[in-house]
Amino acid sequence: MSLSLNNINKTFGSVKVLNNVSINSIKKECLGIIGPNGAGKSTLFKVISGNLKQDTGDIFFNDSNINNLNIEKRARLGISQSFQKNSLFSEMTVKESLMLALSHKYKITFNILHSLLDNKTINIDAKTIAKDTGLLDYLDIKSDNLAYGLQRQLELGIAIACNPKLLLLDEPTAGMSPAETKGIIILIKNLSIKYSIIIVEHDMDVIYELADRIYVLDRGSLIFEGDAKSVKESKLVQKIYLGI
Amino acid sequence: MILIQILNALQFSMTLFLLAVGLTIIFGLMKIVNLAHGSLYMVGAYIGLSIFNYTESFWLALIFAPVLTALIGAILYSLLFKHIQNADPMKQVLLTFGLIYIGLDSVRLLWGTMSHSISAPNLLSNSLLVLNEPYPSYRLFVILVGFVVMFTLYFVLEKTKIGAKVRASVDDPETAQLLQINTDKILFYTFALGCGLAGLAGITVAPILGVEPGMDMEVLVLTLIVVVLGGPGSLKGAIIGSLLIGFVDSFGKVYIPQLAQIIIYAVMALTLLFKPDGLYKR
Amino acid sequence: MRAANYNPKLRLQLMIILLLLALISNIFGSYFTRFFIAEITILSIFAMSLDFIASRGGMISLGHAMFLGIGAYASAILTINYGISPFSSTLYTFLVGAIIGIIIGYFIVLLDGIFFIMVTLALGEMFNAWVFTSDYLGGSDGISGILRPNFLILGIDMNNPLIFSFYTILWLLGIYFILTKITDSPLGRNLDAIRQNKDRISAIGGYTKAYKTIAFALSAGVASIAGSLYVQLNGFISPELTHWTVSGEGLIMIIVGGIGSISGAILGATVVHIIQHELSNIINWWMLVIGFGFIFIVLFMKDGLWGLLEQIQKRLR
Repeated sequence: MSLSLNNINKTFGSVKVLNNVSINSIKKECLGIIGPNGAGKSTLFKVISGNLKQDTGDIFFNDSNINNLNIEKRARLGISQSFQKNSLFSEMTVKESLMLALSHKYKITFNILHSLLDNKTINIDAKTIAKDTGLLDYLDIKSDNLAYGLQRQLELGIAIACNPKLLLLDEPTAGMSPAETKGIIILIKNLSIKYSIIIVEHDMDVIYELADRIYVLDRGSLIFEGDAKSVKESKLVQKIYLGI
Repeated sequence: MILIQILNALQFSMTLFLLAVGLTIIFGLMKIVNLAHGSLYMVGAYIGLSIFNYTESFWLALIFAPVLTALIGAILYSLLFKHIQNADPMKQVLLTFGLIYIGLDSVRLLWGTMSHSISAPNLLSNSLLVLNEPYPSYRLFVILVGFVVMFTLYFVLEKTKIGAKVRASVDDPETAQLLQINTDKILFYTFALGCGLAGLAGITVAPILGVEPGMDMEVLVLTLIVVVLGGPGSLKGAIIGSLLIGFVDSFGKVYIPQLAQIIIYAVMALTLLFKPDGLYKR
Repeated sequence: MRAANYNPKLRLQLMIILLLLALISNIFGSYFTRFFIAEITILSIFAMSLDFIASRGGMISLGHAMFLGIGAYASAILTINYGISPFSSTLYTFLVGAIIGIIIGYFIVLLDGIFFIMVTLALGEMFNAWVFTSDYLGGSDGISGILRPNFLILGIDMNNPLIFSFYTILWLLGIYFILTKITDSPLGRNLDAIRQNKDRISAIGGYTKAYKTIAFALSAGVASIAGSLYVQLNGFISPELTHWTVSGEGLIMIIVGGIGSISGAILGATVVHIIQHELSNIINWWMLVIGFGFIFIVLFMKDGLWGLLEQIQKRLR
């Protein structure tokens, strides 16, 4: 899969939130995007997922220009996202939520004749995803009744159920305890074997563990790009985080 | 001849405006649509009727009917709306729907099911010459009332501190609370004011259209359309919307009766398609 | 917006109980009882159509009486002006209703819940006004002389209230069966998910507008069937059928019954219609009572009578 953002600019009111940002990814990898508060990480994420439209600049996904595609259309092309704030189906159980998401992978959402829950293939696939996201013991629990950490896992599960070509993770460890964070890191590491991932994160340690390559944003501009080692050693990065 | 039509349309627009502005500000502030707004319009007209019958003074009815309607609004707010502020918005709308039933039967119980009328005061029972055309002075009065309310509201909202607080509460309730703007008090007074305006609409229109059960829903639909078109919480939207709908409806009924409804449908449909938040989102 | 828990077992149990009650009252009841049962059955079909879009898609419509009207008038016109058999006319009205539902739905299904209510109320009122003034539709006099389906060849006399009542119950069962199948299907589950979190469905690539439009069209078609049966029950239509209070009554029925369970809608329709009928015989101000009762249920009984049944079922375990 290939994703490239060319010279993305976005202004809100009088604030330039993204300033000529360009990002490239041409193979399966885990890409991290970090930066201090207000750097524009969230905005960049939303521009890729389709929640926001950039003012100028182009986005290409697998060589086609997706500038004018809305969230639904991008999702169908294979760009799947998980949200910073849990976006679950409150009344559905873990199994029901995963099977619901899978109905999109198998493209049977216009089917009105058969019961979804009785579908054997989807049942098995749901269990697989539950296993991959550590939810196998919680299949029949309602989303609302899950512990927060498990809800984050389900948040991931729904995103990967669509069999994405590109997985966008928005602060996957948001609100988690250190123990929960450790668990999620292992989970995402396993996912990165199968999927191409872009992670926006606040927690630097998480990115250092997971990302093959890291982009660093500061006040809307891209100021550094490299692997975890070079980012850690970069004086420039240290400066923007510690302030002058 | 066409001047008469324009004035009629303007008068109707003013009535719609009095109704729409209350509804839209309440919608903008509290995020709920009070479906019983038409009921308050009706109640205002009936209260005015009673005052008129008892005192034989239209002017007393004109002053006190809106005040009493505002009072009813205040009671409704304190007893019901205040406590469900944080509930699911759909739940709140359903509640107002229940109020329509209560309003309708209350009116029938207290005043019966026949229609009544109020006569315009002597001062306004003649015709004035507008550009050499005679036109009922009472209707001119209604137009005047509408404009007075319009300008007063505009002035208060845009130029006063209280108005700024109201606008802040509509645009960004969380920040407003952080700034120590007492949103609860604002909600209370604005809700009562909106209800009072509905009552004012009812009493001012009574000498023209009469007073009867069922008047609550007749006007509610067009008011809702004005709010949908104008955008929730927008004074400007309410003004433009009521003028637009008022004129289309009035002229339509005269010149192309069958099509008038369809045109209004079409205007609403197009607006919803292209600007789902209304013409003037606040 | 919340709806009843997905509970197919209780749904079926309730349906069976209601069905038995209907059959028994029908067989042993008077002429009037049979007419009343047919009325309740038809209103139940209407309620199910409302329940379907409320729970599957989160759309609460206050203008659905318009589709009752479309079904009723289309049925009348097809049989009287075009000589189509009454039974076929009911089938055709489903199509008419569904097609109009697609056209209207295209514009309104993505509207936020409150806007949706306002717009459907407006549309319903406008339809009502149009029907009252239309000469083609008989204006305020309506249309009369509508016949019931003719199955005399099969030895069945539909003019017999017992038979016609059974006929309406058959329609109810058919629609119930189809709606429950759709509810359990991938489309139905996605519609349910849209009510719970429409943004997530968009994010996973769902065709939200398409799903909701289909649901609205189905609902419109089912309501039209109810309208067609209603007109055959009474033999005439009056434009009162499209008055907002009819839409309102439908809304009250599904709230009382509990949104989301389909058989709850039937229960709600039964209870509300019986109460309204009995009340209006005793007092003039029954609307006041219904208004207060409705507010009470909205405030304190979130899942209506269905919720009550669920609690009872839990206690009995």
